[in-house]
Amino acid sequence: MDTFFGLLIGNSLTRLVFFPAITAVPLFFLARASARSAKIYTLIVSLIELAFALQYLFSHLGPDGTFPRVHDTVLPWIPSYGIRYDLAMDGISMPLVLLGIFLVPIVILGSWKGIEKHWPLFGASMLLLTTGVLGALLAYDLFVFYVFWEVMLVPMYLLIGIWGGERRIYAAVKFFLYTMAGSLLMLIAILWMAWTLRGLNGGVWSFAYEDMLRLDLPLHQQIWLFAAFALTFAIKVPMFPFHTWLPDAHVEAPTGGSVILAGILLKLGTYGFLRFGLPLFPQASEAAQPLLVALAVIGIIYGALVAWVQEDMKKLVAYSSIAHLGFVMLGLVAFDIIAWQGSLLQMVNHGLSTGALFLLVGMLYDRRHTKKFAEFGGLAKVMPVFAFFLVFSSLASVGLPALNGFVGEFMILTGSFRTLGWPVAVATFGVVLAAIYLLKMIQLTIWGPITKEENRRLSDLSGREVAALLPLCILMLWIGVAPNSFLQPSRQALEEVLAAYQQRVAEPNVTQATLRSAPVQEASR
Amino acid sequence: MNIHFDWALLLPEMVLCGGGVVLLLLDAIAPSMRRAFTPIAVLVAVAAGYAAWYATPLGNAVMTDPARTFNGQIESSALTFAFSLVVLLATVLCLLASQGYLRRERILSGEYHALLLWCAAGLLLMLRATELLTIFLALETLSLCLYSLAAFHRRIALSGEAAIKYFLMGAFVSAFVLYGIALVYGATGSTRLDEIGRALAAAPSVPVLASLGILFLVAGFGFKMALVPFHAWSPDTYQGAPSPFVAFLSVAPKVASALVLYRLLDAIAQGGAAPYAAKWSTVVAVLSVLSMVVGNLLALVQRDLKRMLAYSGVAHMGYLLLALVTLDRASLMPVLVYLLAYALMNAGAFAVVSMLYNRPGEQHLVSDLAGWGYRYPLLGACLAVCMLSLGGIPPTVGFLGKYVVFLNAVADGHVGLAITGVLASLVGVFYYLRVVYYLYMKPETRQPEGLLIDVWGRTAAVLAALGTLALGIWPTDLLQWLIAATALR
Repeated sequence: MDTFFGLLIGNSLTRLVFFPAITAVPLFFLARASARSAKIYTLIVSLIELAFALQYLFSHLGPDGTFPRVHDTVLPWIPSYGIRYDLAMDGISMPLVLLGIFLVPIVILGSWKGIEKHWPLFGASMLLLTTGVLGALLAYDLFVFYVFWEVMLVPMYLLIGIWGGERRIYAAVKFFLYTMAGSLLMLIAILWMAWTLRGLNGGVWSFAYEDMLRLDLPLHQQIWLFAAFALTFAIKVPMFPFHTWLPDAHVEAPTGGSVILAGILLKLGTYGFLRFGLPLFPQASEAAQPLLVALAVIGIIYGALVAWVQEDMKKLVAYSSIAHLGFVMLGLVAFDIIAWQGSLLQMVNHGLSTGALFLLVGMLYDRRHTKKFAEFGGLAKVMPVFAFFLVFSSLASVGLPALNGFVGEFMILTGSFRTLGWPVAVATFGVVLAAIYLLKMIQLTIWGPITKEENRRLSDLSGREVAALLPLCILMLWIGVAPNSFLQPSRQALEEVLAAYQQRVAEPNVTQATLRSAPVQEASR
Repeated sequence: MNIHFDWALLLPEMVLCGGGVVLLLLDAIAPSMRRAFTPIAVLVAVAAGYAAWYATPLGNAVMTDPARTFNGQIESSALTFAFSLVVLLATVLCLLASQGYLRRERILSGEYHALLLWCAAGLLLMLRATELLTIFLALETLSLCLYSLAAFHRRIALSGEAAIKYFLMGAFVSAFVLYGIALVYGATGSTRLDEIGRALAAAPSVPVLASLGILFLVAGFGFKMALVPFHAWSPDTYQGAPSPFVAFLSVAPKVASALVLYRLLDAIAQGGAAPYAAKWSTVVAVLSVLSMVVGNLLALVQRDLKRMLAYSGVAHMGYLLLALVTLDRASLMPVLVYLLAYALMNAGAFAVVSMLYNRPGEQHLVSDLAGWGYRYPLLGACLAVCMLSLGGIPPTVGFLGKYVVFLNAVADGHVGLAITGVLASLVGVFYYLRVVYYLYMKPETRQPEGLLIDVWGRTAAVLAALGTLALGIWPTDLLQWLIAATALR
C-alpha cells in the first residue's frame, strides 16, 4: 500500500479519485463507436465508483455513526518543494464526496437522450470532472488542492461549450475566466504562504495543510491572503456580487452539466471557505465577518427576488441556487456549531433538490425544447408522474418540514441567530420568497388548464427518467425524517475546526509571522 | 601557448555540423533518399545529445583546467547539458514536423535539414560559450542559418518577406551586439565574462561605456528572445516562415539567448558590483512586465494562429524573465523548467499547425480550425493539450513552469511582479481557449483539401502533447535532476 499503484488497487481514496479518470481514457478511443456503448460503459463505471465509495464509507464509519479522519498513505510528489500527495477524508468532506459520486450515474441517466452528439466525449468529460472534484475535496496539501481545483475547469468548460444552448461559448468562456481569475490569485497566496512557512521552518518547503494551520500571521498579512482565498471561493459559491457567471453557465449548460454544477461544483466554494478560508486566517475572517454576512443576506434576498421574476424555468432554478448558497454562507460565517452543521447539510440538500429540479426542467426541455412558463400549464393532467416529482422536489427546496431542506435551513437560521442577531431575521424572508417563486413555477407549469395544444400529447416520464429521480427523492425524504444519521458523521470534525478557530481568535494577534509547534486542530483532540 | 585542447568537448557541435554536411552530400548523390533524411537528421540530433552527455564531466564540477575549457571560453557542465537537451528536443520536434510540410510544398531537400542541424550546432556553442566573441561567433552561425530557413519556401513571397524582415533587423542587431562587445572590452579590457565582472567590481565607479555596451548586449539578446520592445519582427517572421521551422525558431534561439543573458548579468553580480547588478535586475523586471503585458494584449486581438503564437511567445519570454530578475543560480532551475515546457508545448502547437493548414502564403485563421477537433481527433487533442499548457492549466508542464517561476519570484520578494504575471496569464487563457472552442465547439467551415498528415508529423505532435502531460503529472524526477544540474558549483 505504499506506492501509488498499491493505493490504486486497494480500498483507498486514491482509487476513488483516479478510477473515473483512468476509466475515461478508453472513451477517447471509443469516439467513433456507438453512443449507446459509451453510455452503458459510463453508467457502469459510475456505478462501480459508487460501490467503491460505499465500501470506503462503511469500512471507516465508526459504530456510533461518527466518521474519523482517514489519510491515504502520504507519498512524495515533488519533494524538491516539499509537495506531498496527501489525500484525506473526514466528516466534512465525506458527505460532499458521496454526494458527488452519487450524482454521476444520475446525471448519466438524465443525459441519456438530451445529449445528442459526441456522447463518448461527454462521458469522458463527466468522469474527468469527477476526478477533479473528488481530488479538490480530499486534498490535504495546498498545492495538490490547487491542481485539482484547476483540473475541474477544463471538463466543465467542455460540458458547457460543446453541449450547451445558443450562447454556450460565451457562457463557457465566462465561466472559465471568472473561476480562473480567482484561483490564480489564490495560487500566489499559496506560494506566499509556503515561502513564509519555509522561512520559519528552517528552510524546509511544505505545502501540507497541517503545516499551513500552524502558521500564525499578523492581521494585515492575513487580510490580503484571506482576500485572495475568499475571492476564489466567493466566485465559485457564487456570492453576490460575483454571481453573474452562474445564470449564464446554468442556462446554457446541458442538463447534466447544470446538475453537476449546482450539485457539487458550487459546493467546492463553500467547502473551500470551511476547510481553508476560515481556519487558515481566523483573525481576518473574523474581521471580514460583517461583510460576509451582508453579502450572504444580500445573496439570499437578491437571488430570491430575481428568481421570482424569471420567465424561464432553468433561470429560476439557477437564481434560486444563489439564494440557497447564500444560506449556506450565512451559516458558515456565523461560527456556530449548529449553523455549521446546518450549512454542511444544506450543501448536500441543495445538491439533491436543485439537482432534481434541473433534471426535471431538462426532461421537459427534451420533450418541448422550451423552458418558458408561458408554454406550459396543466401538465399534471398529461404527465402525472412528472408533476409528482416536480412538486416533491420543489417542496424539498422550499423547506417543507419532513423533507431535507427544512432541517438544513432551520439549523442555519437558529444557529446563526445565536451569534449574528437581526441580519438573520432579514434572511428568514428568503424562505418565504423561496415558497413564492417555487410555488409560482409549479402553478404555472403543472396546475391550471392546458393552454397549448402541443402539451396534450406529451409523454410521461420513462422508466429511465424515474430511475434517475427516485434515488434523489428517497434521500430527500430520508434526510428530512432522520437527519441525525447524516449529521452525526460530521459533527466531531466540525467541532474540532470550530474549537481551533475560536481558540485562535481568542489569542492576541501576532505582530510577525510565527509557527506553532502543532496546529490547534491537532492539539485540541 | 602550448596547450593540447581537448577537442572532444566540441563533439556535439562537430556531430551536428558533420551530420549536416553528410545530408547535403546525400542530397546531391542520392536525391531519391530524401524521405529518409528525417530519420537520419533525427539520429544525428540524438547522437549530438549523446555526445553532449559524453562531453559533460560527471557531477557538478565546473572545469577550470584551461585545456578543457579552451582557455575559459567554453563551459561544459550538467547545466549546459540540460540546456543543450532542450535545444535538441526542439530540433527533433521540428525535424519530425517538417517532412510532411516539405513534401506537401514540394521543397523537400537536404539543405533544409542541414541548415537546421547547423542552427542547432550554433545554439549549442552559444549556450556553452563564456566569452563574448565566442558568443558572437555562435550567434552569427546560428543567425545565418535562421535567415536562410525563414526564406526556405522560395516560391512564396511571404516567406521571402519574412526572411528579409528578420534579416534586416537581425543584421542590425548583430552590429549592436558587436558594438556592445567592443564597448565592454574597451571599458574592462576583457571579453571573458568572469573577468568583465571582476573588472567592473574593481572600478571605483562603473564606466558609462560598459553600461552602454551591456545595454546593447541585452538589447541584442532581447531581440533573439523577442522581448518587448524588441519583438516587432516575430509576428511577421512567424507568419511567413515555414510553419514547422517556426516550431524551432520560436523555441531554440530563445533557450540559448536566455542562458547568455543570464551569464552576462550573473557575471556582473558575481564580480561583486552588487548595487550595479541590482540596477540591471530592474531593467530585467521592466522588460519582463512589458513583454507579459504587451505580448498578451496583442495576442488577444490576433485572428491568425501563427501571429497569435508569436505574441504569446513574447509573453512567455516575459514570464521567463521573472525568474531572472533575481540573479542567483537557484533561478536557473525555473528558467530551465520553463524553457523545457515552452519547447514542448510551442513546438507541439506549431507541428499541428503545419499539418492542418495547407496554404503557407495565406493567413492561418484560428476560425479555419472550427470543428476539426472531431475530424482530426488525435491532432485536435494534441493542439488542445498544448494550448491548455500554454495557458498554464494543470496538470500540464506549462502549469509547472509557471508555478516554479512565480514561486521563485514570490520567494525573492517580488510579489507585485508575480501578481502582474498572474493577471497577464489570465488574459492569455482567453486566447488559448479560443483555439479550443474553435476546435470543439464550432461547426466546421472548411473542407480539408491538400493536407498531408504524415506519420512523422503525428509523432511530433503526440510526443509533444504526451510530454506536456507526463511532465505535468509526474515532474518529480525531472525537477530533482534539474535542481542537481543547476546546483551551485
